[in-house]
Amino acid sequence: MTNQRPVVAVVDDDPRVLESLEELLEAADYSVRSFLSADLLLRAGLSGIDVLITDIGMPGMDGFELRDAVKAARPDLPVFLITGRHEITDQDRAKGIGGLFRKPFDAQILLAAIGDVLR
Amino acid sequence: MPGKSQTFLSRLEQLMTTHLQNRPYALHLGLFIVAYVLASGFAHLLAIVPGTGISIWPASGLFMAVLILAPTYSWPWWVLAGLLAELLGNAFWFGNPLPVAVLINIGNALEAMVGAWLVKRACGRSVRLETVREVLALTVLGAGLAPIISATVGSATLAWFGIQPFATAWPIWWIGDATGVLIVAPLALVVFQNWRGSAQFSTARWVEAGILSLIFLGVAALCMSGYLPFAYIIMPPLLWAAVRFEFKGAVVTLAFLALIAGIFTVSGTSQFAGDAESQKHNQIMLQLFLAISAFSALIVAALSRQQHLAALTLRKSEHSLRELIETVPALLWRLAPDGKPTFFNKRMVEFLGFDVTEIDKTGVSRLEAIGQIAHPDDAAQLTEGLRESLATGHGFSMRHRLRRADGTYRWMSSRAEPMRDEEGKIVQWYGLCHDIEDQVSAEEALRRSERQLQQMIDAVPALIWCTTPEGTPSYINKRLAGSVGITLEELTASDASRSLVDVHVDDQPAVEQALAHSFKTGTPFAKVYRQRRADGSYRWIEGRAEPLRDPDGRIVQWYGVCLDIDELVTAQEALRQREREFSQIVNMVPVHIRRLTPEGEPTFFNKRLMDFFGLEAVSELDKPGMSRLATIIRTLVHPDEAATLLEKVRQSMTTGVPYSMKYRMRRADGAYRWVDGRAEPLRDQSGAILHWYAISVDIDDEMRAQEALRDRERELSQLVDMVPSLLWRLSPTGDPLFFSKRMVDFLGLDIGDYETPEMTGLPAAIAAVAHPDDADRLAAALNHSIATGESFSLTYRLRRNDGVYRWMSGRGEPLRDETGRIVQWYGLCHDIDDQLRVEEAVRERERALWQLVETLPAMIDCAAPDGEPIYRSQQLREFLGYNLEELDKSGRPRLEGTLDAGVHPDDLPGVKEKYAHSLATGEPYARRHRLRRHDGEYRWVETRAAAMRNAEGAIVQWNVICLDIDGEVRTQETLRLAQDSLARASQAASLAELSASIAHEVNQPLTAVVTYSSALQRWLSAEPPNIERSQSTVERIIRSANSAADVVSRIRALFRPSVAAKDCTPLGSIIMEARDLMIEEAARRRVRIDVAIESDLPPVSLDRVQIQQVLVNLIRNAAEAMSSTTGERVLGIRVIRLMGIVQIEISDRGPGVDIPERIFEPFFTTKEQGMGMGLAICRSIVESHGGRLWVEANKPHGSTFIFTLPIGEAAAAQ
Repeated sequence: MTNQRPVVAVVDDDPRVLESLEELLEAADYSVRSFLSADLLLRAGLSGIDVLITDIGMPGMDGFELRDAVKAARPDLPVFLITGRHEITDQDRAKGIGGLFRKPFDAQILLAAIGDVLR
Repeated sequence: MPGKSQTFLSRLEQLMTTHLQNRPYALHLGLFIVAYVLASGFAHLLAIVPGTGISIWPASGLFMAVLILAPTYSWPWWVLAGLLAELLGNAFWFGNPLPVAVLINIGNALEAMVGAWLVKRACGRSVRLETVREVLALTVLGAGLAPIISATVGSATLAWFGIQPFATAWPIWWIGDATGVLIVAPLALVVFQNWRGSAQFSTARWVEAGILSLIFLGVAALCMSGYLPFAYIIMPPLLWAAVRFEFKGAVVTLAFLALIAGIFTVSGTSQFAGDAESQKHNQIMLQLFLAISAFSALIVAALSRQQHLAALTLRKSEHSLRELIETVPALLWRLAPDGKPTFFNKRMVEFLGFDVTEIDKTGVSRLEAIGQIAHPDDAAQLTEGLRESLATGHGFSMRHRLRRADGTYRWMSSRAEPMRDEEGKIVQWYGLCHDIEDQVSAEEALRRSERQLQQMIDAVPALIWCTTPEGTPSYINKRLAGSVGITLEELTASDASRSLVDVHVDDQPAVEQALAHSFKTGTPFAKVYRQRRADGSYRWIEGRAEPLRDPDGRIVQWYGVCLDIDELVTAQEALRQREREFSQIVNMVPVHIRRLTPEGEPTFFNKRLMDFFGLEAVSELDKPGMSRLATIIRTLVHPDEAATLLEKVRQSMTTGVPYSMKYRMRRADGAYRWVDGRAEPLRDQSGAILHWYAISVDIDDEMRAQEALRDRERELSQLVDMVPSLLWRLSPTGDPLFFSKRMVDFLGLDIGDYETPEMTGLPAAIAAVAHPDDADRLAAALNHSIATGESFSLTYRLRRNDGVYRWMSGRGEPLRDETGRIVQWYGLCHDIDDQLRVEEAVRERERALWQLVETLPAMIDCAAPDGEPIYRSQQLREFLGYNLEELDKSGRPRLEGTLDAGVHPDDLPGVKEKYAHSLATGEPYARRHRLRRHDGEYRWVETRAAAMRNAEGAIVQWNVICLDIDGEVRTQETLRLAQDSLARASQAASLAELSASIAHEVNQPLTAVVTYSSALQRWLSAEPPNIERSQSTVERIIRSANSAADVVSRIRALFRPSVAAKDCTPLGSIIMEARDLMIEEAARRRVRIDVAIESDLPPVSLDRVQIQQVLVNLIRNAAEAMSSTTGERVLGIRVIRLMGIVQIEISDRGPGVDIPERIFEPFFTTKEQGMGMGLAICRSIVESHGGRLWVEANKPHGSTFIFTLPIGEAAAAQ
């Protein structure tokens, strides 16, 4: 781990998805901070984070709320939303949002997107 | 005698009274007497020859002069005075016996009266002795003739009394009297007439008079004293006096001469005196001298006087002429023959500012001077004109301007004419200038105005022409020339008369005649004729001409105008044509037409009406003191209706409301005919009535026919009343019109007696007379008959007037006219009460039952054992809209007819089948189907039928009830549809929810697998490959994939059907249940379901609910597949047994399946609302039962879904 690696924070209530993402990002040479809930992330703080990937459907604060909260504190922080419930992507508030991925997502595209925002 | 004397006295008295009244002044009479006596004395003095009488008798002149001047009526007084004076003179000087004196006096008086009368008569009223005629009258008549009387009477008297012989006395007497008259009468006249007149003499005249007097006296003295011829020396002075001093001078001189002659004679110094011998001769000479002197002097004086008067008159005349010339309002002048102005009148002088005399000072010739005072433009012409006139002696006449004193020029009309003497030589030129400045201005204005008028006439859009009084065209305005294309010359014929070339040939004679008449009589010309236009066409015009007359009424000019009235004439022609047509129509229509004024006075009858009345003109009806309307109605309308009609007409005229009445009018032959008369007002825009138009149509034959008809009817009515039945008659609509007398007696009511305010007509009659129980039936039967025209026949009860109801057999038949229309209903009621009373008890029960049936709120139908309907309740009939009998017309069985006509085609096979089944087996029938109502609407009904059997158990009748359950069915349908869609929605919702959950559950491990795989790929592709991490990642992939498999397993476990629910059930009943479940939906989709189930099917072990689900699913699919099928929609269900299995086939006639291999896959659907799960689930269920489900193509089109079920071991063993 070096400080030069970009830090990607991942939030998902499903530990299987969380772990798989952590594995993927590490394989892509990112520094990963995993959180099982939005609360945990917010408690840990946003400092040092370069990219945030969060699930939408979560108990407590959901992905949209988290994104709004993060944007209030760090408007420049890129946020990617992922969801396994496809009907969420059909909702109005999800319309027109960039960086929304439906599970199961194409890992190569996600990585490419992260790479784009960090460049 | 006394009477006679009395008459004489009274007449004398009257005469005296008259004369007293006419008496002259006493003073005058007195003076006359004194003068007379003195004159007598003077005569006596001159009577120098004794016994020879008087030489001069001046009294005669005095007497005559007095009578000449005195009025005739006063003559008696003067005569009386003369007698008195004569007698006095006689007493003083003559001494003649009284009779002689009286007779002489009578002669003298006669002489005076005759002389005075003659002179007055010759000279007229007043004798002034100013003319020769008067003097001659006095001398010849007064002095010549009158003394003859006196001389004759006097000489006769002297001779009678022997005083002197007649012949001696007469000449002297005559000459003496004549001389007296000649000398004294003029003197007396002058004295009397100038008594108060004062002679104004100038000094020169007085001197002349004085000198004349001296010469006269001297000459007189000379002439009297000597030789006789010397006596006439006195003549020159005497004539001088007469010439210069006229009458007065002559008279006075004569008087003096007489005096002097007398004095000289008396004194004897005169040559007239002498010895006794010559005295007589001398006396005559004296008398002659005096007479000649007097005569000469008087004649000369009269001539002088006459000349003097003539000169005086001439002077006066000349004076007035000069005044005239000076006051004439014109400039007058006079020229010498050489043209030299010799006189200007005062006005001319004032105008020019100088007089004739001043012309000389200008130093030019006088003629040129005249030129100078004229306007420079006119001067040369004026001078030339004057010069020419002077040279030729022709009259001069010219208009020129003349300079006035103030320098302005004024127009003058100058004229001059020469005055010639007897030889024709020109003595003078007289001329005048008349100021015509105003006239010239007026003429100028007139010319201007005329020019304007001319322009105006040419500009007005009318054709104007003028002719001379004789009719020769003298002018046409431009428009006439332009429109007609003609010139004035062309209008004028060669003989200077009018040519009329512009008039249409056909109209020419009439126009010529009218024009000739007008020109001849001076009456205005007006004629309508055709005039040619420049383009050759003819147009109707109205030509008019009026003469212009001068103040004397002579025609100066004719002015004419042509007005284009072509359109008018054409329109009038059309109008007349129309009017003629209308008139013909009015006269041709077989109706009497008349027109009335708004007050109702007839003004027009059409020809038919005239012919009807036999009139020539409406006015023939006029009678004095009566309006025409009243006359017509009184004389031509039947007396019975006349008053009413008059009243009606008058009322209509007052109110303006049309009237209509039938009345009789008298025809020309005196027969009265019925007419139907009516009148309507014609109103103008404002609504005021212009005319009334009244018509009358002859309806006499109709009325008579009606009369005859009424008679027949009366007879029939009597006949009807005789018939021993109750007879009645109804109108085509059912209103009772007539009850026979017997019926009235029976009911106690006649037509209309039963009516109440609430109810009238037939219902009221039925309510009143029919038994309450029969009323409806009777009404229905009657209404039915009336509606259909069928004969009426019914048995019912009628209420007798005593309140008892009696049974009647009522029958009715319609009476129809030629067209088949019902005119009347005739009926009779026959009393069958007794007969019926027996039957009534039997029927009572049946009726009650029928009533029950009829009143049930259901449609009841009764059928024969073979199913043929024999009765239908009112409700059913009403529902169907036809009666049972009508079915018979088709010739088919009633049942079949009813079913074919009423049952919905989709339901028909099922219904027929079920009916046939019930009829065959006797089982009760129950089925729901749609039935066609009379209005065409299909309504759901539930029909139930049961057999009614007799004691032997044989079916005698089928009783059918049919309930209208359309409302319920529709409600159920709606409810079911709602439930259906709700269920569908909830099914879809839960399925969506379920699939979402499953997807999520599966997605999570899948995501992990995918993500890990990517990571793995990265690990492996790193340099060098991270084998350690790859290992752990692969493990995680396996773990995640297993997790996903677990999810699927859990879900499958969740949906696994329970085999425990399976039981052995007869497949047929399951299929019928499923079909019944679907039958309504199929019906809604107009799909017929044919079911064919093989009998003796073995029981099959199955889950009843699941298999039914499969069946319902497949049936619904099949029905839905045929939604666009246009042909017959038949859904077939067939169940067959094969080796070890039962095969169920569900076929449709839809479009078929495109992709048969995919339709059983989950989520594959061809329907918009489908989930794509139905067939997948069906296959799943079938397979879970150990069977198979597949699809095959149907013939000719559509598809067949087939599934099999294995026959259970137990069943198979059977």
